[in-house]
Amino acid sequence: MANFLLGRLLQSLVLLLIVSIIGFAVLHLAPGGPLSQFALVPGLSKEDLARIAHEMGLDRPLPVQYWEWLTRLVGGDWGRSYRDNQPVLAVIAGRLPATLELMGAAILISVFVGIWIGVMGAIRSYSLFDMLATVGAMVALSIPTFWFGLIVIYAFSVNLGWLPPGNRMTVGGDGSFLDYLHHLIAPALVLALVEVAIWSRYMRASMLDVINQDFIRTARAKGLPERTVLWHHALRNALLPMIALAGVEIPTLLGGALVTETVFTWPGMGRLLLDSLGYRDYPVIMGILMFSALLALLGNLLADIFAATADPRIRLT
Amino acid sequence: MTTAAALAPLERDLATTGNRAWRRFRRHRLALFGIVAIVLMVLASIVGPWLIPFDQLKIDIRHRFAPPPWGGHLFGTDQLGRDLLVRLLMAGRISLAIGFLAMIVSTAFGTLVGITAGYYGGAIRIVLMRFVDAMLCFPSIFLLLILAAFIQPSVTTITLIIAATSWMEVARVVEAQVRSLRERDFILAAEMIGAPGRYVMFRELLPNAIGPIVVAATLTVARAVLMEAYVSFLGYGIQAPMASWGNMLNNAQQYLGSAPWLAIFPGLMITLSVASFNFVGDGLRDALDARFDVK
Amino acid sequence: MSEDRRNETIPLLTSRRRLLALGASAGALAWAGPKMGWIPAAEAATPPSKPTGQAVIGLSQEPTVFMPLLAHIEVDEGVYFNLFSPLWRVDEKGEFQPDLVAEVPTLENGGISADGLEWHLKLNDKAKWHDGTPFTADDVKFNIELIQNPKFLAGRRSGIDLIQDIKILGPSELTFKLKSPYAPLPSIISWTFLVPKHLLEKAADFNKPEAFLANPVGTGAFKWVERVPGDHITLAASDAYHGKGPYLEKLIFKYVPDLTVLYTQFQTGDVDYIGIQGITPDHYEEAKSLADRVVTPVPQPFIENIAFNLGNPIFQDAAVREALYLAMDKQSIIEQIYYGLPSPTESFLPRQSWAFNPDLPKHAFDQEKARKLLDDAGWKPGADGVREKDGKRLEFTNSTTAGNHVREQAQQLLQQTWGDIGARMTIKNLPPAVMWGDYWNLSQFDTTMVGIDFMVGPDPDATQYFASTGIVAKGGAGNNTTQYANPDVDKLLADGAATVDIEKRKAAYVKMQELTRKDLPFLPIFQYAMVQGVKGKLEGFTPNVNVQENCWNACTWFWAS
Repeated sequence: MANFLLGRLLQSLVLLLIVSIIGFAVLHLAPGGPLSQFALVPGLSKEDLARIAHEMGLDRPLPVQYWEWLTRLVGGDWGRSYRDNQPVLAVIAGRLPATLELMGAAILISVFVGIWIGVMGAIRSYSLFDMLATVGAMVALSIPTFWFGLIVIYAFSVNLGWLPPGNRMTVGGDGSFLDYLHHLIAPALVLALVEVAIWSRYMRASMLDVINQDFIRTARAKGLPERTVLWHHALRNALLPMIALAGVEIPTLLGGALVTETVFTWPGMGRLLLDSLGYRDYPVIMGILMFSALLALLGNLLADIFAATADPRIRLT
Repeated sequence: MTTAAALAPLERDLATTGNRAWRRFRRHRLALFGIVAIVLMVLASIVGPWLIPFDQLKIDIRHRFAPPPWGGHLFGTDQLGRDLLVRLLMAGRISLAIGFLAMIVSTAFGTLVGITAGYYGGAIRIVLMRFVDAMLCFPSIFLLLILAAFIQPSVTTITLIIAATSWMEVARVVEAQVRSLRERDFILAAEMIGAPGRYVMFRELLPNAIGPIVVAATLTVARAVLMEAYVSFLGYGIQAPMASWGNMLNNAQQYLGSAPWLAIFPGLMITLSVASFNFVGDGLRDALDARFDVK
Repeated sequence: MSEDRRNETIPLLTSRRRLLALGASAGALAWAGPKMGWIPAAEAATPPSKPTGQAVIGLSQEPTVFMPLLAHIEVDEGVYFNLFSPLWRVDEKGEFQPDLVAEVPTLENGGISADGLEWHLKLNDKAKWHDGTPFTADDVKFNIELIQNPKFLAGRRSGIDLIQDIKILGPSELTFKLKSPYAPLPSIISWTFLVPKHLLEKAADFNKPEAFLANPVGTGAFKWVERVPGDHITLAASDAYHGKGPYLEKLIFKYVPDLTVLYTQFQTGDVDYIGIQGITPDHYEEAKSLADRVVTPVPQPFIENIAFNLGNPIFQDAAVREALYLAMDKQSIIEQIYYGLPSPTESFLPRQSWAFNPDLPKHAFDQEKARKLLDDAGWKPGADGVREKDGKRLEFTNSTTAGNHVREQAQQLLQQTWGDIGARMTIKNLPPAVMWGDYWNLSQFDTTMVGIDFMVGPDPDATQYFASTGIVAKGGAGNNTTQYANPDVDKLLADGAATVDIEKRKAAYVKMQELTRKDLPFLPIFQYAMVQGVKGKLEGFTPNVNVQENCWNACTWFWAS
């Protein structure tokens, strides 16, 4: 186990290194830069601009800049936002709770609803329900998330007035749990749509695999009630591969959160990325990239470990 | 005896597999629906604009936001008084072209990476596949946005950006397939009779990996159409006055209340086309019994 | 996104030049239209005896810089006005009102010497920083010297850099001299928000005063509570404020990045006031009909224009510029695309400016005349309809910030009306950090569609934009990106800046406007108006064309009971 973990960690570190090189190169080689936000400030001379560039370290060769960034990163210093001068980690930490809240809610919805649809689809495969679920999932995977979000806002906020049109809580409100929940419903549902589709598809396939296996037939032959066989024996086994899915789905979920956050003015990481891109806030963009890569790798690792500990057939070597 | 002749029986075998696959595919009603919808959309996008008596670029500023079907504008007019239907079809050309082109580029690249990694194995495989893993660590929309935010948008650049963020799945699929084929008898046979690596890779391995590649490619078109919409929605898409479904939607969202048809039609077109490609991909997968996932 | 100028953070940086509408309050009222009826009503209500309730200010950009002397964007000023104080502020009538001074220095009260060089300031001795430390003359000196420090990344230095010989006469009294007379200085001071010496002199790096940025301390009506990045900033009433108010317990600046969503939140009541870019023109009609909401178009000093790159040979031909102007359907742009909100203009100055020239030749949309002009100048249509002369095709690009939908519509209309006369324009919009970087500064564009505030502060001095010394592409220092060089204009600009005699200045600028109208280094389209909205019961909101942000007087806002 320890060897496995060590190996995976090393692998992940190499991956992170590659990720950082790609990210750094793309950011710095593209035209435009953070100086453009100062370029039109009256009273800032060319010398001033050169000094700012120097202070940001933008006047040095790219490999040197990268090396400095990397060594600082290793030392725990993720740099400072060009935009509001806060440490990058603090900036990200400030946005993280909102994104985690949204992602968490979406995962909860998609796990429960997705699994239920998947199991029902597998039990009654090729029934009307199964057909509708299949088509529904495919369509859900095809709807642009932002478009769906806009239509939800238009229908439920503007026309019906049931749900708030955005934000994480009532501005200046009491910040009660119910208030948060009320704001969470629409974006979480929109984000969950795609995930429900994915989960139900995987769950259906996994369940179908399990149902056709010997031990289920044995269980049935023993005369156990069908309910127990399906929801106890079969489901437990069918869920195993799904644990891995949860880890693997993290990048997709994060990407979806970015779009959803934009539509619902949710103050999370996605919005931070968009704002930072507009300002060419390199340290923050790099920070978000590294952070999301870290999250993805962590998800993969956890998925592996869970799958391995849950299923003795998988040996960690 | 040439290598090709030696392997002829195997190829015949593949052909019958193809027939069986086609029969299975035909039974897949959703996939058939998808095929029909795609063909209709492509035809309409190509031919349609000639049949409609409006020019896609002709601005009629006094008749902006005419609701459908005002004055022969079946789908109404847009924010500059242009016929929405003809723009929708012209946008279809762009969006579908981006979808197909991005698919071709990313499939070609992904296949190349996958086949190289799978065939040579060893250090090459490790380096290439670690790179694939690294690219997959990013949420693709992050990567897409970062690229798009720095590059002047045009059909070419958007296509390349989308391709750059969607080749990894293909590479993975192909690599896995090639790795499993690598040890099969006919490949070993080909190598034994001295076929060069390039020959084995592209004449023996590639045809046998074509099933999963086709499935992945189909799904990539769906993804690319969706990605174009996302990039345009976030403000980094195709330049006006050229229309794509994504930028039409992007331009329409501020009129969602007053002129909802401007947002509804392109949104439906995106959903329809993406769903169609997904249906076809799903059907192909079932038909070819390729075991991998919708992603 | 769907909004108008959201992405244009960079040009907005220049907007610290604003107009001072001297005696133009009548004009501002007329601008506001029939809805101004609510102002007398507001004056009738009385504010509460102690701070009550809260107001949520919806902004489409996020304030991020809380050290007001550093380079920042205009949205930050909304926070500054409430957290910090200037020595004096400028009201909606364009008059200076004392804030941190006991009395605004003038020639009449002897605060400024007759030659304009010697200034004597008497400070408000009641003013205190939010941490209880008294505000003193030392603070003023510290601020001036910090701005002058070449190592400090000051957001604006012009004017302040002329100050020398600061003498502190007492805790609330000081004098200083100017190197040369500079008419816009009072206006510049009215937007210079002072920071506490006792907190900033200790900062390790005054360009990044971390502790201060995280917990800024000012002398304003509201004190800092918290910032939730990407979401909102909360200020609370200060009980030690030296001026009138505050009447609100809390002031919340809510960041909503999308103008359509912002409008929706105004509609649903989540947001009490829409600031900065306001309500999009297409929502104006609808917004007016909302119950319990007051919607007001507020004039802005930005002039929407097509800037030519005169370094490009085809634009060196005056006939081309003139013909393109004639072939611009200005009326449709304003009436249709901008819903008639902005007003057409021929000048680079807003009509509220005292130097505005109302007698410039009026633009007319006349494609026939444009064609004839080009024919006469030797531009003959080629095989594909695009005109040519001496092997040069009348073909060029037009750029602006990508994602600015409304402007993109205007670009497409121009593309059509210019195409009609044989000029082929291609739209080439760029992401903001590319557009407003070297591409704009070093004049790498063909033409640009841009909204510029050409003035320095409220002063009509447009040296930065029109003096031939300001061409950065040719090694100059300024913002003359059109590369316009006219010796007459250079002289008029120099004359206008050198004198404090307002009549002489006016004559120079009036003449200059004639010259730019004739030369057309840029094609003026319109002067912006922004639609602002407040809840009906929120009293005290007053549009002020002289400040960057209409939260300028939030200290006197209150909810009618």
